Amino acid sequence: MFKKKITLTIFLLLVFSDFLETFTQFCFKKSALAGSAAALNNLSGIFGFFQGVFLTWFLWLGFIAVALTFIIWSTVLSRIDLSVAVPVASFSYVLVPLVSIILLQEKVSILRWEGIFFILIGVIFVSLSSKER
Amino acid sequence: MKEGLSFILLLIIAASILDTVTQLLLKSAINSLRVSVSGSLGKIIQFIMQLIRLPQVWVALFFSVLALCVWLFVLSRADLSLAFSIGSLHYIFIAFSSRFLLKEKVGFKRWLGTFFIVIGIVLVTIG
Repeated sequence: MFKKKITLTIFLLLVFSDFLETFTQFCFKKSALAGSAAALNNLSGIFGFFQGVFLTWFLWLGFIAVALTFIIWSTVLSRIDLSVAVPVASFSYVLVPLVSIILLQEKVSILRWEGIFFILIGVIFVSLSSKER
Repeated sequence: MKEGLSFILLLIIAASILDTVTQLLLKSAINSLRVSVSGSLGKIIQFIMQLIRLPQVWVALFFSVLALCVWLFVLSRADLSLAFSIGSLHYIFIAFSSRFLLKEKVGFKRWLGTFFIVIGIVLVTIG
């Protein structure tokens, strides 16, 4: 009933939804920064936070990306196991730090890059595991 | 970061669990349709239309919005690369819940791969 093998199409769809996911994270970070001046220890502070966040167009751009990701992700899940799709989607662990460095001027240390390397090895093993049956 | 790191960690783990619940609901909804979508855009639209009629998908959406709210708080306080890295704890949650709740066959390579991802997460977190 369900195909177990990862085909090139599915892999490309996963990578594309990763790009969308990365884009979504970037948009949400940008919108969250707009609300970061508010204190979150009381209700009006929390309200102020969401007011700041919802006023940025980055948030709405993020929502559009989420809707697109939902369509692609559902299509992928109709063809492969959840325990394969989710790990393989961790390609965004490479994309997100790259975006953080380039667009948000965050620092990524050598150790973090080593971690990313391990994650990629893990992804390769999980991808291969989809051919076990 | 006046709330402290442990508070942020707790929120990230909460978001991960909410995200895992979302994925489980969505996958079980898709499994119940018993289709394998491929090819034309028309078929994909037809599939999505079938899918959004299922109540689990809307419960999944609810959990996803909850996860998003928690996530927005986290992002307002922590580095994107750090938050996203610790958030990957849900790979472990996904592996176990897929195995025991969705009855997926998680073989040696898949556990090994998940294990490598966990090592990677730890390195990324302390890095």
